[in-house]
This record gives sequence, structure tokens and C-alpha cells, in this order.
Amino acid sequence: MTYLGEHLLPGELGRLAVSLAFAFSLAASLAFWKYRNQPEQQRVAKWMFHIHGLAVLTLVGTLFFIMFKHYFEYDYAWKHTSTDLPVKYLFAAFWEGQEGSFILWIFWHVILGWFLIGLKSPMLGPVMAVFSAVQAFLTSMVLGIYPLGLKIGSSPFVLIRELPENVMLPWTQLADYLTRIPAFAEGNGLNPLLQNYWMTIHPPVLFLGFASTLIPFAFALAGLLNRDYKGWIKPALPWTFFSVGILGLGILMGGAWAYEALSFGGFWAWDPVENSSLVPWLVVVAAGHLMLIERNRGHNLSMTIVLALGGFLLVLYSTFLTRSGILGDTSVHAFVDLGLSGQLLIYLLFFTVLALVLWAVRFKEIPRKSGDEPMLSREFWMFLGALTLLISSFQITFSTSLPVVNKLFGPEGLVPLLQDNLAPPIDAIGHYNSFQVPFAILISLLMAVGQFLSYKNTSGKRLWERIRLSALLALVLTVLLGWVFQFYTNPIHLLLLFTSLWAVVGNLDYWTRLLKGKAAAGASMAHIGFGLILLGSLISNGKQEIISSNRTFIAKDFPQNENLVLELGDTAQMGQYQVVWTGERTEGKYKMYDVHYTRPADGLNFVLSPTILMNERMGPSAEPATRHTLGQDLYTHVTYADLEPKTIDAAGYLPSRDITMKQGDTLIVSGMFVILDSLSVNTAYLQGGQIDSIAVQAHLNIVRSTGERFEALPIFIVKGNQTLAKDAEVRDAGLYFHFAEIKPETNEFVFGIKELASNEKPFIVLKAVVFPMINLLWTGSILMVIGSFLALYERTRKKVQTA
Amino acid sequence: MKKSHIALIGVIALAVAAIVITIGDASTYVGFKLADSNPGEKFTVIGQLNREEPMAYDPASGQFSFHALDKEGRSKQVLYPHPKPQDFERSEEITMKGYTRDSVFVAEEILMKCPSKYADETGVATRNDVYLADTTAQP
Repeated sequence: MTYLGEHLLPGELGRLAVSLAFAFSLAASLAFWKYRNQPEQQRVAKWMFHIHGLAVLTLVGTLFFIMFKHYFEYDYAWKHTSTDLPVKYLFAAFWEGQEGSFILWIFWHVILGWFLIGLKSPMLGPVMAVFSAVQAFLTSMVLGIYPLGLKIGSSPFVLIRELPENVMLPWTQLADYLTRIPAFAEGNGLNPLLQNYWMTIHPPVLFLGFASTLIPFAFALAGLLNRDYKGWIKPALPWTFFSVGILGLGILMGGAWAYEALSFGGFWAWDPVENSSLVPWLVVVAAGHLMLIERNRGHNLSMTIVLALGGFLLVLYSTFLTRSGILGDTSVHAFVDLGLSGQLLIYLLFFTVLALVLWAVRFKEIPRKSGDEPMLSREFWMFLGALTLLISSFQITFSTSLPVVNKLFGPEGLVPLLQDNLAPPIDAIGHYNSFQVPFAILISLLMAVGQFLSYKNTSGKRLWERIRLSALLALVLTVLLGWVFQFYTNPIHLLLLFTSLWAVVGNLDYWTRLLKGKAAAGASMAHIGFGLILLGSLISNGKQEIISSNRTFIAKDFPQNENLVLELGDTAQMGQYQVVWTGERTEGKYKMYDVHYTRPADGLNFVLSPTILMNERMGPSAEPATRHTLGQDLYTHVTYADLEPKTIDAAGYLPSRDITMKQGDTLIVSGMFVILDSLSVNTAYLQGGQIDSIAVQAHLNIVRSTGERFEALPIFIVKGNQTLAKDAEVRDAGLYFHFAEIKPETNEFVFGIKELASNEKPFIVLKAVVFPMINLLWTGSILMVIGSFLALYERTRKKVQTA
Repeated sequence: MKKSHIALIGVIALAVAAIVITIGDASTYVGFKLADSNPGEKFTVIGQLNREEPMAYDPASGQFSFHALDKEGRSKQVLYPHPKPQDFERSEEITMKGYTRDSVFVAEEILMKCPSKYADETGVATRNDVYLADTTAQP
């Protein structure tokens, strides 16, 4: 049977491209390995990698084409696009799915691989062998074949009728199913939450960061394979700092996205997904610094190799954590399990075991220098810094990996050591901070002093002469800021305030006074940036103030109410502001809530409009509105708004609801007390003395909180087999009563009560947080990224000069 | 002994300390029964919304109250001292971090899993319904 209206050609081309990409990455890996020491023989291997690269580009192109054309017979196009999706979000839709993000990753590896081939390194053979082997594993993730009933990869070119859950369904036997079934006319579309520019720029940068960690890994592994334990460092060094810069940028962009557009309540929450991109970065930073030492004076070559390997291995581990679905219960991020856990685990274990076993086997051969480093030498302090980063990343990894610990040692695990499954700590942020704040103190202290130390040795007297100016300046600033932001009650935070200020001031001093603003600006700038990031995080997070919290007393040990109720048009006091919610507007998929702020002290006026994105797929989600000023940010979002559409009848009443009462009962309706005071029975007789009808009248007293009183007298009538009712309306109170039923066996009476829609004032619930000095954080982020790239530029320029 | 070796030993000691402290800090996934027998102590309970029981949100006091069924099928009133999460009714699974106080479980933090979050599958499922409805209508 031929199906009508399907576009099979691009899919077949795409599948062919994936197969070619897979086959040629394997072939390139073997060819590069075979001729690893004969550069003149590597032409074939390079061609294989080029074919692999072209196949990957074709794969990217065909998938884009299918999505651009909205060929909804393809599952990936149906799931991630719709005809009303603006073209500018096509990129975001491309990497929204797991297959697309794997392809993005593969794509960056191809680009980086081409750069490496172009640079003609003498280590090209083994490096590209590792590179191509990684590509083989990655492309296998999008193969989508089922040999011997095993699933290998998930293809983005699967047709909906070919999905396993659809295969036997009768509709797949219809030749004209595309036109006959209306569901195929329109796709599911890109999740509206992701329809913003962040989703367009953040993933490619982050994935370039992930991809770049492969280069130090490949060089270090090539060094081990070739028994060239030191030669790999020089060519790998600039790439390592490229990785520091670009991965750092990717992570910080994620934080900025969370802060600007999502309502997680800050830029960092130690969420597993955030952690799993931070950890490789910390390790790459540590590796880069150890590599710098080794170029000058090597003492810890074996550890340098392990860290250079570690960055990429931790990227693989993160990939496993976030894509296998193992984190399901512990993260706010959504995960889709494609059933590739096994394959991901093989991928992770293959490279981890290969790298670490090789390292362990060659450990004895790795040259080491005898003798001890002097205490006051730059290399020793950098080594300590790298160790601190390592232990910091270990702690984050272990705490994030509790679900893995459960799988291994939990009650149903491989080795059941634990009685219960471990859950993340109740106060997760407090848990991470209790470790990471001391580590940050140590790191910033090492950063503040380290630059002033010379390689080899520095006399204590000389060091003191160099550092005393910046130390004094930092101390003065600490006293000042400590007083302004009230840090004196928390000695640990006060200490971090001092060390991070010293890191900033010290590096500024080193750069301007000792280097006279000339050379090595990159390192100084990156260090100043990192110091500012720590400082900005400390002040903005440690001294954040929830100004919407109110002091409603519930119980001593009960959490405080952090939200403020704003009734339409009413003025409420919030911190130093008077706020009024003036109304709601709809703009596209957004509901916007205009909140006016006035500061009586100086008459300052402004409007913030936090929004709720009405999202059919994920449910409504709040997006914040933030007022940025130089000194502080006011961050607000709507934590509750009544989004249910109301049905109102012609007289303005909401739908009736039934309420059962006994005599003397009181209930609260529309903020008023309604009391069933008494009932009176009136019997009417026919002329012959027979009962004509019985009427029961209810006396309902209505009391407003102001003391105003009303009365409602609904009547229930039994006449023969029929029941009738005479309703009572109290328009002034906005209530309407219908006497619906009498239950003689329980002495209960049922009333249908309607309330005027205008009885209840519309309201929203708002949360507002002040983040002081958060601009230090963003300034630091920008400086650190620019500094890393500047350092990279300086390194490559130096290389050209010395060559 | 070299200074770097001393530093490495220090690192290993810190790593062990981090493991021990983390396991100590970690809570455990339990049912309401255990939380009830240790009032005030904090636990993580995974359950689902009990749709039979009423839920109420009082904006003035900032309290949201609902009933949850834990994995052992025990139902308990839960007080969440925060605004009612939008779309709460659609939640499939609720992870609650908190403690038992008097007769209620006070959840300081809630993590909801909605079917739509995962779900691209829901789209397919509804489409299957459509297909079936359509094809069965055909002779």
C-alpha cells in the first residue's frame, strides 16, 4: 500500500545521513588510530572524518527541512512544531527534543574536529581517533534501529504511523490517513514556555561548552595512549581555556534565563540540572590551572591528566543523569526518558573505564619530580586551588547523585546496603551552601594572594610587601559593606565578604600596579570577574529580602506567609512601597497583571507587570517582572491568580451550590455569616378539612462583618405529590436562596445558594523579593567570560611568537 | 612526606566527610505513617492528590489545604503554607517535604509532576483516540 501525501524522501535522506555519519566516524576512528604516528598517511582518515562531517550537516539540514515544512507525518516535526510557530523559534524547536539536542552536540564536535584538523597538531592522529570514537557513540544515539529486538538510538525521522504504540492500530492501514484524520493537520508545537530568545541562544552555547571539554580529554587520552605524558599540554591549553569561557557563559546564561524569565525565585537553586553543568566547568577550570603549572614547573602531572580527562567524563555523567530519567523525583526540570538509559550507560562506562584504567596502568610511567614544592610558590597555591575545586565538585556530584546511590545501594539496588531510599536533603539549598561557602572562601583567598606569588619561591617579606595594600583596602571595604548590609551576625558570610572583596581588589591591584595594565590581562580580568560573582551571589542571595511577607501569626513553628494578597484597586503596604493592583490584560498567550508602586518617602512611581503564561501543554506558569536599578533589583511574580473562567447568569449570579444546614447552623458565604435561625410551618386546608399544602419557611439571618443585618425567607411547599419553592433574594447582600429539600430523618435542610459575582473582589497573590547588588554578579559574569577568552587569545598569540 | 601528598590526604578526608554529612543530611522517602509517629521531624513523602476530599485555598492566611494519598494508600490532610500551585488539580504525583504537626502534614515544599510535563505521549494518546473514533466510524 502506498500512503498518500507523505514526504518520505527527506526522512530517507536523513536516515541515510545518520547511518553514514555513524559508519564514517567509526572508520575515521580506526584509520586515525592505525596511522596515529604517520601523519603523512592520515589523508584517508581525514577524508573519512570530512564525510562524517558532511553527513552530519546533511542530517541537520534534512531535519530542519522537515520541521520548516511542517511535515507532520514525522513524529519529531509533529511534537515540536506547529504551523503558527514563528520561524525564529524553529531553532528552539529543533533542540527542544532529546534527539535534536544530541544532534546539536554532534554538530559542535564536527566543527571543533575540523578546527583541530586545520591546526595540524603533531598529535592529530590519536586525538582524532578519540574524537571520532566519541562521535560514533553520539551518532548511535540517533540511529533508531532495532537489531535483535534491542533499541539502538532514537531517530528523529520516525513517522508517527511507525511508532511502536501505533504500529498495529487500524488507522495505520488507511492510505489517506494524513488527510482523513484531523489531528495531522496541525502539530503539537513548541512549548510556549520555551518560546523566547533564551531558548534560542542558551542551548547552543551550553552544548558548545559541553563539546569543547572533549578536546582536553582527547589530548590527555592521546598523551596516555602515546606515552607522551607532557607533550599534550601545550596544544590542549588554549582549548581548555576556551572551554572555561564558553561553558561558563552557557551556565551563566542559564542562570540569567531562570532569573529573567522563570519564576524559580532566583538565578541559582542547586537544581540537579544546574549542578550537572557546573561540575564539569569546575573540573575544567581546575585542569586548566594545573596545566598552566605543568607548563612551568611540573609536580603533579598524573593529577593534571586525570582532571583533563575528568571534564568530559563528567559531561557524560551529567548526560546520563539528566537523560536517563533517573533524576525524575528530584528536579523541577522536565525529563523525557527515551529508553536509552542502557546505551547512555555503556557510552559513559566505555570512556570512563578506558580513560581511568589506562591512567592507572600508566601511572608508574608518568614522570614526577622529586623534591617538595616550596610553600610560598605560585604553583603550590594553584595546586591547592585545583584541589579545592575538585573537592567542591565532588561534593556537588555526590549530593546530586543520591538517586544513583539509591539504584546501587538502596533497598531494591544492586547491593542493598541502605534500608530506605535516600531523598534529597529537606533544605537542599542550605545543604549545598554549608559546603560551598567554605570552599568559596578558600578559593577566593587563594585567588587574592596567588597572583602575587612567583613561580618557584617567594620570600615571606616580599609577599607581604606586595599584598598588604590590597589586603588593607579589602578590609576597609569589608567593614563598610559589612555595616551597610549587616553581615556582622554571620561570621562565615563576613569572611566570604572579605575574601571575595580581596580577590577582586587584589587582582585589580596586581594587574594595574605589578603588570602595569599590560600583559596577562585575561587572567586578572577572569579572576576579578569570578571574585565579583562570589561577592554578588553572597550579597544578593544572602541579603535578599522578601518584602511581600506579612506577619500574620499562625503558630510559632509555622512557616511564614511570604505572599501578599492584592484586591483589585486596593492599596497595600509592601516594604517601603504602597502597591495597587489596577487590572489584568491579555496579550497573546500572556495574562499581564499591572501593579503600581509608589514610594511615599520620595514620591517614586513605577509599574511592574508580572505575567502568567497560559500554556495548554504544561499548565499556566508565572513569569516575573523585575525592576532593575543599579543598587538592587525588585523581583516580583504572581503566585496565584484565579484563572478559571466564570459563568455568570443574566442577573449577575454565579452558579448555585447546595448547602445543607441544621437549625442554628452558621456558615460563611461571600464573607458574611448566614445563620439558619428558625423555621415556621404553615398548613393550608381544603374546605373538607383535608390538607391542601404545607409551606415551610426558613428564617435566615445574614450578618455582614460591618454589623449590617439582612433577612431571607425562602419557602418550601409540599402540595400533594408535588413540591414547590418560593425563592428569596437579598439583592443588597448579593445573595439568593432556593429552599431545595427537607430531610426529615436527619432534620437537615438543603438550600441552593447563589452569590453575586461582584460579591467577591478579584484578587491576585504576589511575591516580591529585593535582591541587593545583583549587578555585581552580572558584571562579574561578563568580566570572567571576556577574561577567559582574553587569556586564550594571549596564549595563542604567545604560541605564534615563540614558534 | 611531600606537601602535595598531605594536601591530597586532606582532600580525601574532606570527601569522606562530605559523603557522611550528605547521607546524614539526606531525608528518606516515607509514608505518612512514619511522619505521624515522629511529629516535628522532617520527611519527604511521595503521594498523589486525593480527589475524593475537598481542597481549599485561603489567600488571606496564605494557606492551601488538600488531602494526599501516600504510596501505602493512607490519606492525610496536607497544609501548604504557600499559594495554591496553578494547575494543581492536574498533578499526577506530588513530592512533599515537611513534617506532621497536630493532625496535619505541613508541607514546606511541593514538587508536582504533571502528565503534560513529560508528555509528548499525551498528545499521541489523544490522537489514538481520535484515530480509533474515526476508523471505527468507517464501514
